[in-house]
Amino acid sequence: MAGVSSAAAPPDAIGAREQFAAIGQLRWRIFVNSLRTLRGRLEAVSWVLMGLLFAGLGIGGTAGLATVSYFVTRRQHVGWIALPLWVLFLYWQLFPVMATAFTENFDLSNFLRFPIRYRSYFFIRMAYGALDPTTVIGTLWLAGIAVGIGAGEPGLFAWAALLAITFGALNILLARAIFAWIERWLARRKSREILGLVFFLFIIAFQFVGPVLGRYGNRARHAGAELTAVAGHLLQAERFTPPGLFGRALSAAAQGSYGAALGSWALECGYSAILFWVLDVRLRAQYRGENLSEGAARAAAAPKAKVKTKATVREGIALPGFSGPVAAVFEKDVRSFLRSGPMLFMLVMPIVITILFSLGPSAARQAGHHGGPNFGGFVFPVGVAYAVLLMSNLTYNSFGMVGGGIQFYFVAPVRFRQIFLAKNLTHGALLALETILVWGAVCLMGQPPPLGLTLATLSGLLFAAFLNFCVGDLLSLYSPRKVDVSAFGRQRSTGISALAATGVQVVVFGICAMTFIFARLAGRMWVAAPILLALAAAAFVGYRILLDHIDRIAISRREALITELCRAQ
Amino acid sequence: MDAPAISTEHLSRHFGSLVAVEDVNLRVAAGQFFGFLGPNGAGKSTTIKMLTGLLAPTSGRMEILGLDLVQNPVEVKRQIGVVPEGMALFGRLTGAEYLNFVGRMYGLGRETAAKRTAELLEFMQLADQPKALITDYSHGMQKKLALAAAVIHGPKILFLDEPFEGVDAIASGTLKSMLHGMIARGATIFLTSHVLEIVERLCSHVAIISRGRLVAQGSLEELRAGVQAQSAQAEPGATAPGEKLTLEEIFLRVVGGTRAAEQELSWLG
Repeated sequence: MAGVSSAAAPPDAIGAREQFAAIGQLRWRIFVNSLRTLRGRLEAVSWVLMGLLFAGLGIGGTAGLATVSYFVTRRQHVGWIALPLWVLFLYWQLFPVMATAFTENFDLSNFLRFPIRYRSYFFIRMAYGALDPTTVIGTLWLAGIAVGIGAGEPGLFAWAALLAITFGALNILLARAIFAWIERWLARRKSREILGLVFFLFIIAFQFVGPVLGRYGNRARHAGAELTAVAGHLLQAERFTPPGLFGRALSAAAQGSYGAALGSWALECGYSAILFWVLDVRLRAQYRGENLSEGAARAAAAPKAKVKTKATVREGIALPGFSGPVAAVFEKDVRSFLRSGPMLFMLVMPIVITILFSLGPSAARQAGHHGGPNFGGFVFPVGVAYAVLLMSNLTYNSFGMVGGGIQFYFVAPVRFRQIFLAKNLTHGALLALETILVWGAVCLMGQPPPLGLTLATLSGLLFAAFLNFCVGDLLSLYSPRKVDVSAFGRQRSTGISALAATGVQVVVFGICAMTFIFARLAGRMWVAAPILLALAAAAFVGYRILLDHIDRIAISRREALITELCRAQ
Repeated sequence: MDAPAISTEHLSRHFGSLVAVEDVNLRVAAGQFFGFLGPNGAGKSTTIKMLTGLLAPTSGRMEILGLDLVQNPVEVKRQIGVVPEGMALFGRLTGAEYLNFVGRMYGLGRETAAKRTAELLEFMQLADQPKALITDYSHGMQKKLALAAAVIHGPKILFLDEPFEGVDAIASGTLKSMLHGMIARGATIFLTSHVLEIVERLCSHVAIISRGRLVAQGSLEELRAGVQAQSAQAEPGATAPGEKLTLEEIFLRVVGGTRAAEQELSWLG
């Protein structure tokens, strides 16, 4: 090659510090560049608001835990410190998984294409995790506990600090390990769906714990001996959990049994070492370049020999009164919905909530009067309200799941009015189905809700639906977000949409609640129905006006929509 | 004289201070297999996006089959088929469901959409896995499906943005045979590709865009003759009489893609 006289080799030593600096600078530039657009600036405002919320949570929690720890130590019940530690532990591990919408997640495995050493990669993963809001708040709370213990008994401060550092490290390692393994399972559709199902079953089961205990608690007291034995076994096991070990070590140190304290601390260190190893296994696999693509899974599952079959294609569905494109989009959305685990979960949750309410204390108090509970009469509207709340996930980011498919809507000879009409029809049909299911669940668990209340609830539902369609359709165009079901933190709508959806629900539920209260005070529940129907009619007029203008808005938002929904990450 | 299939007048698109496309005057006659070429960032994708309604021009006019695209977007879109960058598929549908959906979006009756879907799946050799979701398709299968979707309504003009990218030789053969069939039946195909050999083999006419401006347009023979005449004028004897320049050579001479030796990266091993 002409001109190549002295070929230079790549640099021998690659400074990890320079790489960390480059990554830090990259994150900063991504943030600064995001402020160039109005959407980015609004998103930053929503982040500031979230930040204030987190700051309040952090400072308030620190003060509260410090106070609790102080009194527990002063009253010579140092072992009880395990209780606040359990709260902290559960928050630290469960909150990040539940609240992925509020944390920006950056795929750090992207850096593996650079000549980065494994040690640096591990450090980046840990450092990045240590800076997320949950870890910062968790660390603050832990510091509060240590300071509270130190203030209560100054002689224990050194032990409290040592145990807090170990407990903090264990939590960071565990949280990182959970994330790394969940990422691994999310990478493939099949394992993703199984994981989703397990996760949702866990959430459902968790929500039932309180009401079931409340309802059957009295009966259980009579079987006291058996329960005490079970609780005793559980407490024995609890002593070997990380919060339990913290409490044991501290109790032992307070009693001067330093050997026992060191033993508990060593066991805590042992747990951390195991978690370190688990995380190390996962990150090393990532570092070596595992292939998690759907293609690899497909190849593995491919049949040995293909049998050629003549394609038989079923005709699409027809929606009487609606055009072919509206029916086509409706059918496509319903099919996509039915193939998504999280979406199906949305269908189940309002029924779960209805059953939860039926197990609640107020329902239990009223049980037995008419052969079954009437749930204070308000389970039906609460179940329907929950359905509206869950549906806002779909309504406020209508194109999130479509991704690059948005381009099709712009090249197809259809109007966005038809597309939104079809999408809102899908959402409306799902809401109607939910309402019927909730009504059925209420009837099965007790007795049918009164007619006046049913009419009022249905009127409120219409009002909520049309108002949510108006705001949701607008935000689907103005603040879209590509939803990536295979990646943590990219499964929800934008912060702006989340805030707007919350605001709309507060307004809608507030108006409905006030109307219900007014009707109840008036002694005629049906009075709420015409009031809410009038509001629904006003919302419907607004919706019609919006549909008339939606094509123009969609065209004006065309480039921003395509850019956001077609982007790789 | 018939209206051209595609024509643009002073078509421009600016992104802030960046000029992506400037004063492009394109003319593609009906029935042509038209290749639209240019280096990276020259404005190919921006132009094709404007011609298919994915991007608004800053100024200028676009007519498709004699209809103004801005004035009659729905009527124009009814007549064209598009395989955009990224393919615009819906991953949670099966291939058959997707084609059925697209057919109905283009106004086909339910029965016709189902019938054509079955035929296209057979033709594209996608009928073997009727239950597989598009998200589980290989890249080549997705490309074939995107092309099937673009033609299900029998468009008069087909816009293809890099249709052969990432496609194996077998799938590529299927696509080419279908495109030739469409041309034989009078359709117009507007194609962008970086693979100049494919363009040379398929296209009868070519336009080259560079830095947002159209720098050459015509049949391959016209371009060849023009470049040879320019070379002979600038450097007599540079091209031997009767020498047939390849499209790559024409392209490089038109866009000035050759580098002086001193510009090369001397530190590269």
